[in-house]
Amino acid sequence: MSGYKKHSWVNIILWVLVVAVLVWMIFPLYWAVITSLKKPADVFKLAFIPFAQFEPTLDNWRSEFQFRGKEITQGLKNSLIIGIGAALIALAIGTLAGYGLARYKYHGMKNRDITMWILSQRFLPPAAVVIPFFLIFRTIGLIDSVIGLVLINATFGIPFAVLITRDAFRDLPEEIEESALVDGCSRFQVFSRIALPLAAPALVAAGIICFAFAWNEFLFAFIMSYAKATPMTVVIAGTQDTQGIQFWYVATRMLMAIVPPTVLALTVQRYVVQGLTFGAVKG
Amino acid sequence: MEHKKRTPLKEQGKTFFIAPAVIWLLTFTIIPLIYTVYLSFHSSRFLQVTGFVGFQNYIDTLTDYRFWSAFRVTITFVVFSVLITVGLGLLLALLFNRQMRGIKFFRTICTTPLFTAPVALGYMFMIILYEEGGPINNFLQALGLNSVSWLSDARWAVVSVLIADTWQWTPFVFLVLLAAMQALPRELYEAASLDTSSGWGIFQHITLPLISPALGTVSILRTVEAFKIFDLPFALTNGGPGLATRTLTFNVYTNGLRDQDLGSATATAVILLVMVLVVSLIFFRRYGSNYD
Repeated sequence: MSGYKKHSWVNIILWVLVVAVLVWMIFPLYWAVITSLKKPADVFKLAFIPFAQFEPTLDNWRSEFQFRGKEITQGLKNSLIIGIGAALIALAIGTLAGYGLARYKYHGMKNRDITMWILSQRFLPPAAVVIPFFLIFRTIGLIDSVIGLVLINATFGIPFAVLITRDAFRDLPEEIEESALVDGCSRFQVFSRIALPLAAPALVAAGIICFAFAWNEFLFAFIMSYAKATPMTVVIAGTQDTQGIQFWYVATRMLMAIVPPTVLALTVQRYVVQGLTFGAVKG
Repeated sequence: MEHKKRTPLKEQGKTFFIAPAVIWLLTFTIIPLIYTVYLSFHSSRFLQVTGFVGFQNYIDTLTDYRFWSAFRVTITFVVFSVLITVGLGLLLALLFNRQMRGIKFFRTICTTPLFTAPVALGYMFMIILYEEGGPINNFLQALGLNSVSWLSDARWAVVSVLIADTWQWTPFVFLVLLAAMQALPRELYEAASLDTSSGWGIFQHITLPLISPALGTVSILRTVEAFKIFDLPFALTNGGPGLATRTLTFNVYTNGLRDQDLGSATATAVILLVMVLVVSLIFFRRYGSNYD
């Protein structure tokens, strides 16, 4: 009896905690959503529940697109191009390296050294390279260009792509590939026709993680773009200067910046832990 | 043809696979890094290098109170951010490491913050922590408490940045440690619970040693990320009030690209790089064998 009682107490505490954590996790997002749906007059009131405490309206969203539609669609488009471009380059380079590291033993620079070197790009503080990038890009005309931002973000995405695909290729049975080699396929054919399709889910996951990080990048985007190449992160950062503290607009843009990478990332949840710990912990 | 040693089948194409990555990373990280170090030993005017100055930029930087302020802010941030996110993440993972309904939903909720742009996060918390009419202060007042100067007081501004950071990264630590715990064999716990009665004993002697690689990895990853922080304070407090939330990366940006003082910006960048390098070396020493 007492054992049962203790058990139920633990359960109650646990559920209270679950609720507390959920509230803490969801509240900021929830508040952003309702702020975007409030009339300016309601924004600074302690009103949580739409319809009951305030009258929700789509006016903010409407006027955002009406008056700043160009800036926003351009921002979303740039973010999309930068995200997709960076993810594709990182994947192309990363899967090759990932396959190489999974299937060969390198000498001179050993597999471990190469992997750690690639991984160390992710540890590198962006501040350590931002000034040279700025100067070089200024010289070659890549300032305010999405291409420049694609190149930079691809660089930061490569470690994810290499580490995730390396683990995926390692989990594939080597025998199929070996017999294909004996049958006269080249290594590249084996890679592209056998290994790549089998590792497709991991590839997609790596691509989405690269995309999300490129989409969310701010330091380089902020420094390297000022007009036609500004992605969404820079567009939201501009809100303050141009409009004072009009939180109802801040909220709409912020949500537009948050939703795409988040929703995409949820589709590959299974790979998130493994990907973000670079294979150190399997999810 | 005969006298040439044929490459064994399994070794074909070895260089081909790794070469693009190596070339790309040499171009896009090693060259800029060398350039940064080069700039840190030179003077410049209007973003043009004017001459070699030896360690002068470092001397100037290390005698600048703004550097030391940013240094202190960064270290404070690293220490508290890592302690709080890893501590809370571990606690939550221990509590939720059991069969539970809705754990999938919970994990989904926890994945969201990881992919929220830190800039967006900054604005998200600015709306919440806004002092005149933000929900938190309104709520405190409704309870009859004093409102808090979240963003305008130097101490509270640091706390605010930490709160937003905790929101973003505690779930990450939680997910990683939960995954590590759930990978442990169930029988282990069953056997252990027969031997020891206390949950603490099980944690101390079984769970903790077994998840320590994951715990170490996640702590170091968090440390490295915390050193780099820029976007979040930029959006939330714009580095202020005064210099209160200006981190080292923030200084690289303001010195180099706003004040166009490349020397002190790159010197700051190199110092930051060395600090991160030390932490990274610890990581690779301890966990390098993962990457054989």
